[in-house]
Amino acid sequence: MLIKPAADIPSSEITSHSSYLNRRKFMQQGSLAIAALGLSSGASSLETRKGPDLRYGPDWLRQQVAGAQETSFGKGETLTPYRDVTSYNNFYEFGTGKDEPARNAGSLITDPWSVTIEGECEKQGTFNMEDILKSMPLEERIYRLRCVEAWSMVIPWIGFPLAELIKRFKPLSTAKYVEFTTLEAPKQMIGQRSRFSTIDWPYVEALRIDEAMNPLTLMAVGLYGEILPKQNGAPLRLVVPWKYGFKSIKSIVKIRFTEKPPINTWQAIAPREYGFYANVNPDVSHPRWSQAKERRLPSGLFSVNRIPTQMFNGYGDQVAHLYKGMDLRKSF
Amino acid sequence: MPVFLRRCLIFIVLFTPFAYLLAQVVALQMGDYEILGPEPGKAIVWFTGEWAFNILLLTLAVGPARQWLSWKWPLAHRRMLGLFVMFYATLHLLSYMAFLLAWQWGDIGSELVERPYLTLGFIAWLLLIPLSITSTKGWQRRLKRKWKSMHKLIYLIAILCVVHYLLQIRSNWFEPTLYAFITLVLLSQRFSWGKFKGFFVRSA
Repeated sequence: MLIKPAADIPSSEITSHSSYLNRRKFMQQGSLAIAALGLSSGASSLETRKGPDLRYGPDWLRQQVAGAQETSFGKGETLTPYRDVTSYNNFYEFGTGKDEPARNAGSLITDPWSVTIEGECEKQGTFNMEDILKSMPLEERIYRLRCVEAWSMVIPWIGFPLAELIKRFKPLSTAKYVEFTTLEAPKQMIGQRSRFSTIDWPYVEALRIDEAMNPLTLMAVGLYGEILPKQNGAPLRLVVPWKYGFKSIKSIVKIRFTEKPPINTWQAIAPREYGFYANVNPDVSHPRWSQAKERRLPSGLFSVNRIPTQMFNGYGDQVAHLYKGMDLRKSF
Repeated sequence: MPVFLRRCLIFIVLFTPFAYLLAQVVALQMGDYEILGPEPGKAIVWFTGEWAFNILLLTLAVGPARQWLSWKWPLAHRRMLGLFVMFYATLHLLSYMAFLLAWQWGDIGSELVERPYLTLGFIAWLLLIPLSITSTKGWQRRLKRKWKSMHKLIYLIAILCVVHYLLQIRSNWFEPTLYAFITLVLLSQRFSWGKFKGFFVRSA
């Protein structure tokens, strides 16, 4: 039998949009056994030379992720290939280089995992992943992700609306903001051991409660039909598609409802450069670079994929009303 | 070792990063998609910028090497070092304009004007031009004493590069600070405390 190494496959043939969707259709139509077969062959087609192992999480989660419902979000968008989504990451807990999370995140322990709920809500406590995902219908949504560094991707996430989770904890009327915290575990996260970082761990992000309850705001547990790879924020991460990527906090261990606006990590480091809102806005430059355009990845050397950035990353219809009457130049 | 042989060796060493980069670009264009990542342009801009800075530091080290280590031989190769700085700095600028801004001239103009770190980097490159042109023996003869003071511009260029790098710090300050430190150490040889004091005593 001739087994070709993955590198011999032309880039265009590795998980194109259509083959990915066909694979999903095939998985959904088949019986359980055929679905399992489809999954394993699908997994190998997602693997890359430098890519990590795809076996990330527990079986129950893998099954739940594989059963996610398709939605119409982002239909027709050209997906960023799996290997780019999983090898080009900003996850400073595992190093500041884009390729470092994929190399270093293997040490993260994602199972068992629990999330602590605190603050202005009725149901406080610590819940494990099984509790959080119990009877939580998962869906697939294709979202554009715009990084504050002026590059962007299109990613098929698997997750559930954050609103569905928040409702369970019954926030009080005093809950005006939702604060999220990433795991702090220097033994697992090499970037947190660095002495050359200005970040005060753990990483913290926050949304206004109405932003958190917006139907677009997603809690992701998977992408490309698989459990989230660790470098992408396993096992549970936020996805807020109309905001710059750093708002979409990874590997969440704590959710806290507050009355006062929390200070998010980047705002604390450089308040002139990163605000609380961080809405994608082509008219408000980062002090050090323009936000008017973005490089949609993958970008070739001689065919640079540089496209105009859209207000609210193109999700204005769904979210512009949240900011009515606000000066978005000041509240950036 | 004869000077010619040493010259060839140094040329090969300084050319190697470019050859390495070229090999990667060729591999990329032939389909080895993962070699430079999904944003190959950015990888190339960083690579060429780092090498321009590395060789700039080597150029600045020629003087201190003579004074602190009594090495005289690098002096004969300083011109080539300086021209390699220009070579990598030009590649750095070209790859920024081509691979990151896709030759969109309006954007190139506004970025170079509006972003301080880009303005400083660009000024540093502009200042390298007269130094490269007048690097020959002929210009050295023609400009006589002025040549030496003119080529002290390299100190200003080095400081511009340090600031160009420091202004890009996001959270990891190790490398930019290391480059700044080495630059300051190498420049300190020129601006010794005695000279510094002498300057003020004379002008007083």
